[in-house]
Amino acid sequence: MLIKVVKDWITRSNKLERIWLLAKIEFKLRYYENKLGLLWALIKPISDIFIYYIAFQVILKQGVPHFVSFLFIGLILWNFFVESTSGTVQILSTKKYLYEYTNMNKIEIYLSTIFSNCIGFFFNLFFFVIYYQFIDRGTPGLSLEALYIIPIFLNLVILALAFSIILSNIYVLAKDITQIWLVVTGIAFWVSPILFRLENFQKALPGVIYANPIAGIIINARNVMLYQKPPEWNLFFFDYLYAILLLLLGVFLLNKIGSKASEKL
Amino acid sequence: MDADKEYAIIAKNISKTFQISEDSHNTVKHRLFNLFNPPRDKEVPALKRMDIEIPKGECLGLIGRNGSGKSTLTKLLAGVYKTDTGSIKINGTTMLMNLGVGMSHELTARENIYVSGSVLGLKIKEVDAIFDQIVDFAELREFIDTKIKFFSSGMVARLAFSIAVNAGADIMFLDEIFAVGDMKFQEKAVKVFESSWIKGKTVVLVSHTMDIIQKYCQRSAYLKKGELIFFGETKKALELYLHDNQ
Repeated sequence: MLIKVVKDWITRSNKLERIWLLAKIEFKLRYYENKLGLLWALIKPISDIFIYYIAFQVILKQGVPHFVSFLFIGLILWNFFVESTSGTVQILSTKKYLYEYTNMNKIEIYLSTIFSNCIGFFFNLFFFVIYYQFIDRGTPGLSLEALYIIPIFLNLVILALAFSIILSNIYVLAKDITQIWLVVTGIAFWVSPILFRLENFQKALPGVIYANPIAGIIINARNVMLYQKPPEWNLFFFDYLYAILLLLLGVFLLNKIGSKASEKL
Repeated sequence: MDADKEYAIIAKNISKTFQISEDSHNTVKHRLFNLFNPPRDKEVPALKRMDIEIPKGECLGLIGRNGSGKSTLTKLLAGVYKTDTGSIKINGTTMLMNLGVGMSHELTARENIYVSGSVLGLKIKEVDAIFDQIVDFAELREFIDTKIKFFSSGMVARLAFSIAVNAGADIMFLDEIFAVGDMKFQEKAVKVFESSWIKGKTVVLVSHTMDIIQKYCQRSAYLKKGELIFFGETKKALELYLHDNQ
């Protein structure tokens, strides 16, 4: 019954096609508009890795093995989250042209933007795999466990989508949420295990891996991509629950506040 | 249930009141500093409770003076605004059209055609099929890959009109559309309007030009200060409107 309804919806409506079209255009606007094009998507994590490598490995001598790969996977996940949230706080205002004159469902606008960010993420993930597998000497290489990155990334997509919807709806009522979110992500970056050895992080900030939903995602992504381990299932399910609850809150706000966006913005 | 499908729009007991805040409580900072001094909202009743049913394929006229609630009503019926009371059932895609139609100035004419076509419910292949028609009708062949922020307002309006004419949603709300472009373009617009829109599509026509309403609409709604004064035969609606304006 359910499968039939979904199949019917996909074949009869143009919704999927439309979301994909909007995602492609969004992606083009972001990267192709400047001369370096898609390389920008890669330059950001590379420059970050360079800075943090000098700070944490050369100066502070943290001693994490394969620190570049360690940072690479953490940073591309983190950048995806920040771009999908900070970059979409004003989405109901910038994409107003899509819903101001028609009865298009606003959720499609969010989905297309997040898909466009996914294209950038997969591009980066591709280069991570190349680096980890062929350039970073002495790594054990990818194992079958690496396939778990798919559900882990899906968790991140749901989480980013949820925050994106929540923040952009708060923006309808409070415009300075843009600045507030910049501060929040600034703090969250330092309370996520992106730069630090996990043992040090857990010792210094116990419980944060549960309070900060990104922390678990990064820990599990490293487990499956770098350490040939399955995800930590407790964290895995906890983070899924976290993301789904936030998404429900987002959808609630979208119906409550977002439906009035065209008159308020 | 089947009877419902004969209708493009069924609106029951709908109304709309705007809350206009006198103070700028639109930041978190403001809200925190004024916790005990909540914003003074002014309520502006834009539309009083009314029922409107539009059968599929009808061309309905909407008349009333400036500020009578015509735009608010079209936005409610198009599903752009949320109604405060009652319910609206919309069967199909809607498009609201006045001088500016949902287009992004950051996109090229080509991209806008695809995005708008898709938003109006067409599949990419269907947009491909009518793409040349849209470009030629808008007379914009040379500028197809130019961002529309570099277009003149007339060019943007022609493109919007051309997309609407050729792609068109199931239910079209046309707000003073015959003011688009130069004389030659207007003639073309009227021709297309008569040949393709009147037949088959549901149209809500908003106009201050009585001749246009009389020519195309069998039924009309007359609004006055947010109230639906009359809904029925166009001749009667126009008589009431003209009588009130004397």
